[in-house]
Amino acid sequence: MATLQITGLTKYFGGLAAVHEIDFDVNRGELVGLIGPNGAGKTTMFSLITGSLRPTRGKVVFNGKDITGQKPHLIAKVGVVRTFQATTLFSQYTVLENVIAACHLESKISFWEAALHTPSSRRSEEAILSRASDIVHFVGLEACKDQPAGSLPHGYKRVLGIAVSMAAGPQLLLLDEPLSGMNVEEVDRTVALIKRIWERGTTILLIEHNMRAAMNLCQRIVVLQMGKKIAEGTPEMIKANREVIQAYLGSGKNAP
Amino acid sequence: MDRRKIVPLLSPAILLIVLLLVPVFISQPYVLHVLIVMGINITLATSLRFIATVGQFSLAHAGMVSIGAYSSALLVIKLGLSFWAALPLAGLTAMSIAFLVGSPFVRLKGIYFTMVTLFLTEFITLLVTEWRNLTGGVQGIISIPRPNAIVLPGLLNLTFASKVDFYYLALAMVGFTLISLYAIESSRIGIAFSSVRQSEALAESIGVNSAGFRILAFSLGCFFAGIAGAFYGHYFSAIAPGSFGFLLSINVFIYMVVGGLRRFAGPIIGAIILTLIPELARAFKEYEPFVFAAILLVVIFFLREGLISLPVLFRKRRAPR
Repeated sequence: MATLQITGLTKYFGGLAAVHEIDFDVNRGELVGLIGPNGAGKTTMFSLITGSLRPTRGKVVFNGKDITGQKPHLIAKVGVVRTFQATTLFSQYTVLENVIAACHLESKISFWEAALHTPSSRRSEEAILSRASDIVHFVGLEACKDQPAGSLPHGYKRVLGIAVSMAAGPQLLLLDEPLSGMNVEEVDRTVALIKRIWERGTTILLIEHNMRAAMNLCQRIVVLQMGKKIAEGTPEMIKANREVIQAYLGSGKNAP
Repeated sequence: MDRRKIVPLLSPAILLIVLLLVPVFISQPYVLHVLIVMGINITLATSLRFIATVGQFSLAHAGMVSIGAYSSALLVIKLGLSFWAALPLAGLTAMSIAFLVGSPFVRLKGIYFTMVTLFLTEFITLLVTEWRNLTGGVQGIISIPRPNAIVLPGLLNLTFASKVDFYYLALAMVGFTLISLYAIESSRIGIAFSSVRQSEALAESIGVNSAGFRILAFSLGCFFAGIAGAFYGHYFSAIAPGSFGFLLSINVFIYMVVGGLRRFAGPIIGAIILTLIPELARAFKEYEPFVFAAILLVVIFFLREGLISLPVLFRKRRAPR
């Protein structure tokens, strides 16, 4: 069953179509890749799905509910959570505090309960702490859980970004180039981490430039070029697709 | 028992007892007056920092003090309300105005938000100057009544005829402000505020309504400015538009920055020290803005995180490497 249905999604920046008439579905429990050359409109797609950009046309439906153009925090609350390409973190917080902050989304404590530090709010605070510790352990950042996020090495920052998104309790996780800027060892570890998150039952849509990792991870791949969808299918199908090869390598006609 | 466990509990208790006993040992009205003004300034600087915890800098505080002072004075004089009813209403009025004005401008960030809040202060000053039949124009309102007496036979006898009673009222106001704002900041709402400041995009991606929390911080901060304004009017018994100009906003801002933004205690320290300095150098009263600016520059260049970071710096110096 399709968890995420995208139909005719279009976004113009002035006269330029960043994304044009895109249709695709993501089924529950699937791990789908979104690939394409630079400027293909992949991150724009994420912004349109999660509400930080409003589409010019088209629809985004999540679990049968139209979420097109809704506010980002409301979309996050329905269970669609994204990560960022840049290392976007709460850099003054420690690793653990970053995850704790995100865990608060799930708690249903009112303003007054929280401000008055009622017993029920304190109890839920303990629950949050243990859940946050679990997540930090799960992603393997336990050793640096008390370090300020701003001082982490790049690879750890990316992993922490994933941990923060996990803490928000996503049903559908949108990962924006989770492997960029990582060394070989970190790539392997993060690929394994993404696989483990997926195995726990989270549906994942992934933007990735690392072709080998994307082919290895994803069950299905959607290819964008210049804002249009040019192919969709299993990694094997995509590898053999002429149009995709042309998009990445050029047609050879203009080669000297 | 473990000494480390007792000390943090003991020091606020001792501080409170000392503060309560101040009027017993010091009866000069002048000293009490300085302490009362200090209380107003602490309330203002701390509530301004509360607005800044979501990453927005407001210059609307003077306007909100003005709203609080005028609405409380008018409620008491024109409608015959008790001061004790007018005081919270003054806070709520400031809060509602902040909410109504803040909502359309909540998308504005950084310097643009600050500019709008500056215009708000200017607009309010203009309003209370020009609405003569209500506010008394440039002359303002005089002979604002004292707070209604609280008499509990044998226990309490507050008539507000002397500065001592106002000192206790100021102490209560500061206590209420600090406890409320600290409770909010140390709760998960504080975490939401801080997450909006650190990265709005990330905060929204994990479900934090950043626009909502920005309005909430602004409105709540202005509530306390309104309370301080009401107190101001009934303490000085006269208010005029000139008392709440743009310079007041700037001064409160300087208290906050000089004390240090990052920590809750920062603006308290800033307000205490910068209330004392002009009093100690009364001869140079007219140079006050220059003195403040000089202090601000020194802090910005040499002590980025404000005076509150001084003890930490000393400890670091002394600690062997």
